[in-house]
Amino acid sequence: MGERRLLLQPGPHLHDTLSTREIMWWVSASIAPAFLFSLWVFGLQVLWLIISGIAGALAGEYLVNKGRGQHPTLKDGSAVLTGLLLVGTLSPGLPLWMPAIGSFAGIIFAKMLFGGLGFNVFNPALVGRAFLMACFPLSMTTTWIAPRTAGIPDAVTQATPLALVKLQGIEHAFTTLGVNASYYTKLFLGLRSGSIGEISVLLILLGAFVLVWKKIIKLTIPLSVIAGLLAVSFFSGIPLFHLLTGGLWFGAFYMATDYVTAPLMPRGQIIFGFCIGVLTGVIRIYGGYPEGICYAILILNTLTPALNHWFRPVRPTWEGAPS
Amino acid sequence: MNQLPVLDIRLSFRRGGVHMDDHKVTAAMPIERFLPKEVVLPLSQHIGPEATAIVKRKDTVTRGMLIGAEETLGAPVHASVNGTVKSVIRRPHPTLTEASAIVIETNAEATDPQFEEDPEWRRLSQEEMLTRIAKAGIVGLGGASFPTHRKLRLPPGVRIDTLIINGAECEPYLTSDHRLMLERTEDLVKGACLIGRIVDARQIIIGIEDNKADAAAMLQKTIDDFSDTMPRPWVRVCKTRYPQGSEKQLVEALANRVIPSGKLPMHVGCLVQNVATAIACYRAIRFREPLMDRVVTVSGKGIRTPKNLLVPIGTLISDIVLHCGGMTDDACMVIAGGPMMGRALSRLDVPVIKGTGGLLFFTEDQIEHEMYGPCISCGRCLDVCPLGLEPNQISLYTEAGLALETLPFGTRDCFECGSCAYVCPAKRPLTQFIQIAKSALMRKTALGIAVRPGGPHG
Repeated sequence: MGERRLLLQPGPHLHDTLSTREIMWWVSASIAPAFLFSLWVFGLQVLWLIISGIAGALAGEYLVNKGRGQHPTLKDGSAVLTGLLLVGTLSPGLPLWMPAIGSFAGIIFAKMLFGGLGFNVFNPALVGRAFLMACFPLSMTTTWIAPRTAGIPDAVTQATPLALVKLQGIEHAFTTLGVNASYYTKLFLGLRSGSIGEISVLLILLGAFVLVWKKIIKLTIPLSVIAGLLAVSFFSGIPLFHLLTGGLWFGAFYMATDYVTAPLMPRGQIIFGFCIGVLTGVIRIYGGYPEGICYAILILNTLTPALNHWFRPVRPTWEGAPS
Repeated sequence: MNQLPVLDIRLSFRRGGVHMDDHKVTAAMPIERFLPKEVVLPLSQHIGPEATAIVKRKDTVTRGMLIGAEETLGAPVHASVNGTVKSVIRRPHPTLTEASAIVIETNAEATDPQFEEDPEWRRLSQEEMLTRIAKAGIVGLGGASFPTHRKLRLPPGVRIDTLIINGAECEPYLTSDHRLMLERTEDLVKGACLIGRIVDARQIIIGIEDNKADAAAMLQKTIDDFSDTMPRPWVRVCKTRYPQGSEKQLVEALANRVIPSGKLPMHVGCLVQNVATAIACYRAIRFREPLMDRVVTVSGKGIRTPKNLLVPIGTLISDIVLHCGGMTDDACMVIAGGPMMGRALSRLDVPVIKGTGGLLFFTEDQIEHEMYGPCISCGRCLDVCPLGLEPNQISLYTEAGLALETLPFGTRDCFECGSCAYVCPAKRPLTQFIQIAKSALMRKTALGIAVRPGGPHG
């Protein structure tokens, strides 16, 4: 038989095909329809913003890799995803260099300085957004673009529905927006001003459906977030409006479900999600910002280690067993 | 009597588990016999003390002759072929690296001795039956290799009401138990009834996964045709779900009893025996026939003609490879046992031992080459662990040099089924981390140093 080199490896010798990299690409691919829709609604600058955000994330990760003498980790796809998700939370009218700054800061401060993928406490994309909010508050809140109605997008600035409600009060804002039954359909489809990734609830649900079907995310966290927001928004009197505006769906399905920064066990996930929803509603209705999901998720990220500690798998003990 | 159709309920254990492609390509291939030119019989093929060689070089031996004595804690070793003892030396061993072994050159001309039936076999006492099993050198053939007579000899105060015959064969690729259930159905049912009598079981359940429906139907038919056996064994079909064939999981599925941490099936009134073991026990009790052969599934993309082979124990894997048409050019890994819990072999001049249920040949493209990455806390390992352990935490702690702090995550309970490492998207060698943590904990307690019952989380 001759000398043949045999490979030695610890078991198990079979592995599921799904890898970290594949998960990252599936998440990125599943949000693509929502981004393409924004490209159509807001115009070509959305594409440049996406490229800028991804470039900043890759640059940040590569720099730390080099500085620490690590193997480059760009190929795991997580930096690209962070860049993409950050752009999803940004206004389509931002200067093109700004997403790069945000994702660069998010990747470095929130992820790489904590030890890289898997060790971060906060969602890097949201830290990037918070960083931009602190540095460039004016651009971040006043560059919203009206959605195209027909023909070419004309880049008319228009406040987001939530900002209008905050600014003018519910009644006045509803008159300005012309809220009626068909307006809610427009919100659901995404024909409104807002962040690049958040506007189309329909396409976010489509992406989420793919992720659930591929068993990449479970519905526990997103449904809890939505339930939490609904619970609070009943006090505002316009729960449906709160449900369909802002970054709720994007945040619930794409930000709050981030593996690293979300709790592991179902009960922890329900508390985590519900608190995010409640806090989002509280910030929107009673706080100073029109939208609060970004800060709600960041704040609840800090609770994740504790939730993982409180809620752990329960194993049978001798006392609990039938004799 | 209540005659449920075999396939109407599909049972399973309560938590975790994975469903995977079963690759059982040899399922329809009848068992073939293969007689090698030489066998190497290690004196240690079981858990317990090594047997003592009682033959020497140039001795003539006949098939079934006692050649390695050990009857109390371990298991004796018998000649598996007729022939001449070539030597008694240290030889490579599939699990122990190296061990003493008796090498026998086969005399192909000699006729196998006949084992005569004991006419009194139905009326033997429990003690007599146990003695015959001990003398036959039978060990758990599902892979654990624990001497069967020791498992059947219950500690005082322990009562068994349910005997479970394990025909789950949940490891992908393996089909040796499946073929035995199809081809030796009667022996199996009789073996099950005899073991049931040894432990005074009130019910006997034969558990089979639903990818072997033909075996379940065959067994049911055989049982229906017997009118005299009491208690009559039940055939129960389980979902195809790994690790259904693990003792604790099978007890959960079939008897609906959860075995807590650190306890055995017998503590909840159950006893589990593999189908091949049950058949061997039957032969030992009725014919005083020692354990001489075993069925090995030879499979995988890397072997030219996959087969189910009945080989004398001690047959060298290299001889089996030649008999099965050789390895393909891209074959690069040989696994003794199943793909999940089996171990990769570094050389082929090792023998098949009592516990070797399969030989798998994997090719280049079936190997996971990727370097493992950091834990991304996806929670998949928590979802699939059938015991509710925390492989993610054990791996992180062990990686950080804190293996001794992993006790609260259940390190000691792990039976290394590999489900966690199977699903891990970061390809972390979770099972191996747990093994490391386990041996660190064991060394610590062996030295008499108390293990801190906590760690930073406790």
